This record gives sequence, structure tokens and C-alpha cells, in this order.
Amino acid sequence: MSGKTISYEELIPGYEFPPAVYELSASFVSKYLKAVDSVGDGFVPPLAITACAIAAMTRSIPLPSGTIAIHASQELEFFKLVPIGDTIECHIGVAQKIARGKMSMLILELEVFDKGKEKVQSGRATIALPT
Amino acid sequence: MLTEIQEGKALNPVVRHITQEKINLYAEASGDFNPIHVDESFAANTPLGGTIAHGMLNLAYVSEMMTSAFGRSWLSGGKLRAKFKESARPGDTLTINGKIDCIEQKDDVSYANCSFECRNQKGEIIVTGEAIIKLSSDKR
Repeated sequence: MSGKTISYEELIPGYEFPPAVYELSASFVSKYLKAVDSVGDGFVPPLAITACAIAAMTRSIPLPSGTIAIHASQELEFFKLVPIGDTIECHIGVAQKIARGKMSMLILELEVFDKGKEKVQSGRATIALPT
Repeated sequence: MLTEIQEGKALNPVVRHITQEKINLYAEASGDFNPIHVDESFAANTPLGGTIAHGMLNLAYVSEMMTSAFGRSWLSGGKLRAKFKESARPGDTLTINGKIDCIEQKDDVSYANCSFECRNQKGEIIVTGEAIIKLSSDKR
């Protein structure tokens, strides 16, 4: 998912973003905890993992200059704790694309796996985008 | 963590003040540098009229409340559904409240069904939603 952008036309149900791999280092977790005003407990906060996946995805979606994407809703399910230092792999695909006037609602499905290929979390994000 | 898990029980609220510095820190941590969050001059010229906090930053505060109440049961057995109703902006103070609406038994496992909302200092709802936590057997 790193850096590559795609066109709107490619964002159709069934499209899958290239998997994104992250090392959840101690410095990343420390930076995240500082940003969210929280203290750690030795594991990676599950929303830190989601944040990586969402950020990588939004970087890959092309936005016309001067326009914005709005995160409308989010569903998440956490299955497993992830120790600091582990590597995760994020898979995101387009589940639905709904046109509403001058906006498109993109419904994206997310699955995150640890290095042992066990599912860590899954989710569904709804993003409103200008068409 | 909650000492007693029972229907109607309120979760300890979380209160956080939003600043542009915190939004910038979140952008650095997450890698989400969408200009609507970090570019004040860009954001001023959009319909939103200024920068807004990342939705996932607001949701992180919800998760903190759930972690505080349910510990690892939340971190490895939690489920949530959230709607972002309004944007949180620099200068806002967010208060996240939640409660246990009901406790259900399914296949000999207990689940706590919670509702939550995040409001700003004007009482406007920023995030609202529900969460389900799979409870370990020693929770009740």
C-alpha cells in the first residue's frame, strides 16, 4: 500500500489494496500513546493497529485537489493482543461503493494478521468521498 | 477495571482536550497527514472551516474508556460499532461516557453490551456507538 495511488474507477467492490506490513516498534507505540494521552500496558493498543491500516489506505485513495474524505463510521472487532515489536499485515478491500449525489460512500473491509498469520482484528470503515 | 459488571453500570468517563499539537502528534504516529487534519490554511478553505481531529483519535478515547473498564477482555475480545456524527476541533474538550446496557449469555459465554457517546463542551455528539465485550468466566 506504500505510496501507490489508484484511480476512482478502480475503487469498485472486490478491489483489494496491496497488503501493508508494519513493524509495531516500541518507538511507534510510545509516539501513539503520547498522541492519544494514554499509558501503555506492554501491548500495542488495538486502535494503534487500526490507525496504521486506515492511514495507509487513505494515502492510497486519490483525492482531487482541495477536496476531503470524511470518516463516517467504523466497526471493529479485536481477537488477539499484539506484543510490542511484532509485525502485522493489513488487508483492506472495497466491500461497497455507493453514489449519493456528489459524494461516494466507500465501505472498506479490514483484516489484520500477526506474523503467525493469526487474525488480530477485523473491521469495516465507511468513508465519504467527493466524486 | 470495573469491580462489578452489572446492567446499568456507568463506565468511568474519559475527558480529553483537543489541541492542534495533539492532532499533529496523532498524524505523526499514525502516518495520516490528510491536510484537513494538519494544514490549517488548507482546512480554513474547506466547508469545515478549519482543521479537525482524526476520527480514529476520538475513537482512541472510547477505547481507553473500554480498556479501563474491561482490561484485556476488551483488548482481545471487544467489538465496536461507531458513527462519527460531528468533527472534533482544536480547543474542544471531549467527554466520553458509556454504560453497560445489558449482559447476555450465549453458549455459556457472557457478553456485556455497552453504549457510548463522545460529546464536546457544547454537548454536541461527536461519536456515538455500541460495544460488545466477551467476558471471561470470572467477571460476574
